[in-house]
Amino acid sequence: MASKYLKSEQLPAFLESLAKNARVVAPFKRDGVTQYEPWQSGKDVELDVLLAKQSPKEYVFLQTETYLKFGYEMAPVPEGAEGEDAVPYETVKVDPQNEAPKQVIFGLRPCDVRGFVQMDQVFGGYGGFYFDPLYNARREATTLLAVTCREPRSTCFCTSVGGCPSSREGADVLFTQIEGGFFVEPITDKGEAIAEAAGAALTDPTDTQATEANEAKLASATKVDPAFDLEGVRDALHDNIADKRWADLAMRCVSCGTCTYVCPSCYCFSINDSIVETKGDRYRCWDNCFNPVYTEETSGHNPRAKKMNRFRNRFSHKFWYYPDKYDSLLCSGCGRCIANCPTRIDIREVIRVMGAPKEAPAASGAVAASAAAAAAVAAAADTTTEGKEA
Amino acid sequence: MADTTSGAAKKRLTFADVVPGASTAKAGKLAGNSYVPEIATVVEIIQETPTIKTFRMRFDDPAVMESFSFAPGQVGQLGVFGVGESTFAITSKPSEKEFIQFSVMRAGEVTQALHKLSVGDKVGIRAPMGCGFPMDAWKGKKILFVMGGIGSAALKATIEYCLEHRADYQGVNILYGATHPTNFTYQYDIDEWQKREDIDLTLTIDRECDGWQCDVGMVPAVLERMNPDPANTIAILCGPPIMIKFALISFMKLGFTPEQTYTTLEKRMKCGIGICGRCNVGPKYVCVDGPVFSMAELNELPDEL
Ligand SMILES: Cc1cc2nc3c(=O)[nH]c(=O)nc-3n(C[C@H](O)[C@H](O)[C@H](O)COP(=O)(O)OP(=O)(O)OC[C@H]3O[C@@H](n4cnc5c(N)ncnc54)[C@H](O)[C@@H]3O)c2cc1C
Ligand code: SF4
Ligand code: SF4
Ligand code: FES
Repeated sequence: MASKYLKSEQLPAFLESLAKNARVVAPFKRDGVTQYEPWQSGKDVELDVLLAKQSPKEYVFLQTETYLKFGYEMAPVPEGAEGEDAVPYETVKVDPQNEAPKQVIFGLRPCDVRGFVQMDQVFGGYGGFYFDPLYNARREATTLLAVTCREPRSTCFCTSVGGCPSSREGADVLFTQIEGGFFVEPITDKGEAIAEAAGAALTDPTDTQATEANEAKLASATKVDPAFDLEGVRDALHDNIADKRWADLAMRCVSCGTCTYVCPSCYCFSINDSIVETKGDRYRCWDNCFNPVYTEETSGHNPRAKKMNRFRNRFSHKFWYYPDKYDSLLCSGCGRCIANCPTRIDIREVIRVMGAPKEAPAASGAVAASAAAAAAVAAAADTTTEGKEA
Repeated sequence: MADTTSGAAKKRLTFADVVPGASTAKAGKLAGNSYVPEIATVVEIIQETPTIKTFRMRFDDPAVMESFSFAPGQVGQLGVFGVGESTFAITSKPSEKEFIQFSVMRAGEVTQALHKLSVGDKVGIRAPMGCGFPMDAWKGKKILFVMGGIGSAALKATIEYCLEHRADYQGVNILYGATHPTNFTYQYDIDEWQKREDIDLTLTIDRECDGWQCDVGMVPAVLERMNPDPANTIAILCGPPIMIKFALISFMKLGFTPEQTYTTLEKRMKCGIGICGRCNVGPKYVCVDGPVFSMAELNELPDEL
């Protein structure tokens, strides 16, 4: 389908039309915090704040999802039964749950979309693993309407991990803010269906509007600073596994797990039961690999008792373990973990340090030293600009 | 459970692939949902040691019971509804068609709840999971089992497999250690094994004890005394971490290579199907890549065992 134009004033009407067939989720600001919430008539979508505090992953991969209801009950005694057959006994009934309401998420950023694309591999059985019916039911019932980033933050680094502020990857429709409204590009069948249903709210764009959208995209891409060179990171993490600098980098971390909860692609979970009298639920809920209990066994033995091991595990998972299994990365460069970490742990720094090949051998010492010096100057320059922006 | 995997294809699946003709949310109930346990009934309970009970259960659905099969070394998630699931090695004979068996050491919440079960109670089982031992590739070799404590559970099915296919293997050698004579599991089988000419069984306890007729000493020391020949041999090791650590040193002293030395790992597992990410050791998941690993494979992993 051809591209469209949506006037800013028409946005509420557009969302209203979507809400007829699906739950609409969008970023809203309340008490100074922007979060994804179900849209209601009269609520103003917040697009000036670049990233909501949390990613929208919770609408597809729920924080807590009951997937099994069960109940203990007495098995009915067959009529006319005698002797042993007439003794009542307890049995259990299970009822699998898998709800997936139709929903449209509007206003998510390309890095948020990419979080879904990355989780899709895990839950979609990529590489011979299992298919997850819970995630996929919700994922298939969800349409993603992404919005190009206008003012990337100093913590953004999508371009270093193969993304960009106007990436179409995984999005069903891409909206780009231009004078007076949005340039609207339906990408998938789902996206086209949305555009069609919107009817008169969408008009044909002029050539100038198309050019303006293109320029906006180019401009935002240049505002994302290169953070590191992805080439060779996986191998370097592998080679540096026993490197002492892991402990230095992890020192400030307080194992709070904030980084895992705000991340659009962190997906690990726990499974638990709850029961009241005879009826109960089995549910899964987000977990956090920074918690020492995550790996602690009943005997008290804990393979990742040390903070350094847990810290190393998260970054290695994103840039080494996951890529080995799923042929892609587990980070979209949204920078939420940097912005929200109470101790300002910076994933870019971790990858710059641990994702760099081991030092060159001593023979070329002089050359290596001068290269290192040049890199140090560049890095210093980097920090200054970052400092100014932040 | 195997029907939900996509084989070796490097492709992301959708409902359309998993349940042909369906792409709605409803399909989740049909799609061989790997999270939903099969209901089974406890048919027999054997008190093995003061802290270990063996449970035999039959799947309530006769079709499930009939089609159930597993490879020696594979595990399952056994759960009590309302308390939770935990991972255990399947300890039945691989040819057993009447029941599925687990041996459970009382430890925390789930295992205590399991220990309170009576015959006739209902449990939930998701099995089999993981990869077993490459028994076919080992045909013609001598198999040496070295186990301690509850480690016997992890190797039970594999021992049974070797005995059922005894002619396929050149030798079956078992070294089994416990702290005290009352702590040996499967005493009834041990009696049988002792009678058989085609099994070389060595039992050892940590310290002298009245009436004890077999070896005395820690497993690694007894192993070194046994001095097994590494030629054409596969060593399988399972037990408490401290035993594994020292037995490995003994194996290396005896000239065993990491390629011919195997063990099975324990890690806290939840989903059991390679999704939740709980059981990783570096890039390997114990639930799908393991629990069986050769020492050569483990040497490649971060030191997080
Ligand atoms: C592949 C594998 C095979 C196993 N085989 C056996 C066996 O044959 N017999 C046996 O008695 N035990 C076995 N275990 C250990 C058994 O799973 C734990 O003892 C059990 O999970 C403890 O659960 P709990 O609820 O009683 O303890 P809690 O302390 O109440 O458990 C809390 C949670 O931690 C997890 N957990 C704690 N310790 C372990 C552990 N060591 N391994 C895995 N998960 C753990 C449980 O899943 C549980 O959800 C095996 C573990 C694994 C991973
Ligand atoms: S690891 Fe950090 S930067 Fe990367 S996607 Fe997650 S929150 Fe964003
Ligand atoms: S948010 Fe920061 S302090 Fe908290 S666990 Fe993550 S890296 Fe550590
Ligand atoms: S237990 Fe979930 S990934 Fe292994």
